[in-house]
Amino acid sequence: MRPLEGRKIICCVGSGGVGKTTTAAALALGAAMEGKRALVLTIDPARRLANSLGLKELGNAETRIDPAHFAEAKLSPRGEMWAMMLDLKRAWDELVRRDARTPAQAEAILGNKLYQSLSTAMAGSLEYIAMEKVYELYAGGRFDLIVLDTPPTSNALDFLHAPDRVLDVLDNDAMRLLLGPMLKAGRFGLRMLARPSGVALRTLARFTGSDFLRDLADFMVAFEGMYGGFKDRAAQVKKLLSSEKTAFVLVTSPNPLITQETLFFHQALEEAKIPTAAVVVNRVQRDPRRHGGPDNVPALKEALHLAQIKDSDRLAERLCETLTEQAILADLDRREIERLRATLNGVPLFIVPRLRRDVHDLAGLWQIDEYLGGE
Amino acid sequence: MPALLDRRLVVVTGKGGSGKSTISAAVALAAARRGKKVLVCEVVAKERVADFFGRPPSGTQIRELLPNLYSVHVRPRESMREYALMTLKYETLYRLAFENAAARYFLAAAPSLAEIVMLGKVFWHASREMERGRLRWDLVVLDAPATGHGLTFLSVPEVILKLVSEGPLARDMRLMQSVLADPARCSVCVVTLPEEMPANEAIYLDRALRQHQFPVGPLFLNGAFSSRFSAQELVSVTRGGPLLTASGEAADNHESRAALSGHYEGVLREAVPRELVKVPFLFERSFGAQAIEKVSRAIEGAL
Repeated sequence: MRPLEGRKIICCVGSGGVGKTTTAAALALGAAMEGKRALVLTIDPARRLANSLGLKELGNAETRIDPAHFAEAKLSPRGEMWAMMLDLKRAWDELVRRDARTPAQAEAILGNKLYQSLSTAMAGSLEYIAMEKVYELYAGGRFDLIVLDTPPTSNALDFLHAPDRVLDVLDNDAMRLLLGPMLKAGRFGLRMLARPSGVALRTLARFTGSDFLRDLADFMVAFEGMYGGFKDRAAQVKKLLSSEKTAFVLVTSPNPLITQETLFFHQALEEAKIPTAAVVVNRVQRDPRRHGGPDNVPALKEALHLAQIKDSDRLAERLCETLTEQAILADLDRREIERLRATLNGVPLFIVPRLRRDVHDLAGLWQIDEYLGGE
Repeated sequence: MPALLDRRLVVVTGKGGSGKSTISAAVALAAARRGKKVLVCEVVAKERVADFFGRPPSGTQIRELLPNLYSVHVRPRESMREYALMTLKYETLYRLAFENAAARYFLAAAPSLAEIVMLGKVFWHASREMERGRLRWDLVVLDAPATGHGLTFLSVPEVILKLVSEGPLARDMRLMQSVLADPARCSVCVVTLPEEMPANEAIYLDRALRQHQFPVGPLFLNGAFSSRFSAQELVSVTRGGPLLTASGEAADNHESRAALSGHYEGVLREAVPRELVKVPFLFERSFGAQAIEKVSRAIEGAL
């Protein structure tokens, strides 16, 4: 893809179910074919695609796609293709171990009741950890290109804002003040003496039970001293994402609701002053009528007759119905593409037709690359 | 076991984009046709059901879409306020506790608080809200979030009860849990498409839902294609010369989609121990009341 030349990071953004993972993998494959060492970092790939890429037994480590897989698909890449599947819980645990000042601090955090739910269920957690990972891989310098398959978000740029949201949860002065007495008690191991104090805190405690507040205080004590590192890196991640090194590709499919979301994403990117480098429209129905030929029952009957095909069981009618249905689908898809084109003024659009089979191997990915090449 | 439409709460979840809102609306329409008073609760960011019936968005106020068929958009902020007020009784106390910087922090940190209050509201409509001495709604249909979030959403009471064992919150969670686990009152349906990712997700979701012991509802296979041409017909038409090129391609497209559809139907029947309800793909230039009516007729036998 020409709009992506020279970039170090590609973020594939889009709604769930639009073929984001496949597009990300195809982009990494394309780069590998051209001689780059490319990594696709994915969150939750379709099982068969994952298997065919050898991702099956992967936890949280980058793995090179076996050259034997390329040979099977009759492809000879000049570079290397790597893949990695992000495991949310493990990634968080690794991060805590890496950033903790002492092993004891790491254990205290990992063992906290709230840590479990915060790390896996907190809004923005997955997005945050994905960004962390991209930055770590980029800073490691081992790859020419990192393609990120972002988690399906309903909110346009959750993952751009995720660092702020996560940091806000981890380090909040107001809460410190509120939990003050409990925090101190936590520090000196006098938890039993600590009772929620102050009207606001007592009311909250009535609402949740005071266990929760105590766990929260414990958690904050355990986390102390780690915010600095988080904050610095979050700032660097943000800078990297808004730099020339990163390209955002919107992945979409021609469905009115998805188009809506895609345009919404585009707008959110614009507001964040990040240009959309390209848009990939997957699963576009091609219009069979482009071949011309009869499209009504009498004409089809005649065509069947000329081709010496028996018109039994209302074959002509069935053909006509099928043509009509697909013409409807093609019209609807065209309408969505026009809508995208009109609003995206000038962003290059790549159209990938609906393929006859699901894509679940390198050969299939390479077939997609055919539509992603050039301008 | 009562029929699906005779429960109090029908939950519809599944992969994003698989047609959860469509199925929710169609189920609700089928119930309304049987004379039940139905409320559809939408909890995802964007409200859709009212629009299906050509109505303006209901927002957070319950609105009638058709006779017996109502909808409401359940949003976190409004639900939070309603729920807290119900628990805390006094507006001042609510403001003091909830509308300050610390509480906002707390609300972000407390796992799934938005889900708690939203589920709480749905639960209230389904099993508490009274009108003239009886429950106001015969049936509440919850158009739930997609798979992962949907699971989180429904498991909120379970998760909270692990963290909190005292107070009004714990008490409410226990009540919700009792309804969510009761097959006489509740059913959790899964919506999927005959494609790889949605099918895999449905299999995963079905397992997870059964693990959490949510009452097992049907699996709706949306957008199903059926074969229309024999192999012989396909061969002769695709080789039928230039006049039949378009028809041949269309027939070939159709059969490859039907084959995929059949394949995933088989996979799902094998892996998901739920009643599979097929919803045929609809070729509609615009998706409105007519389409919902069609879907509703296609599935009502199974409800």
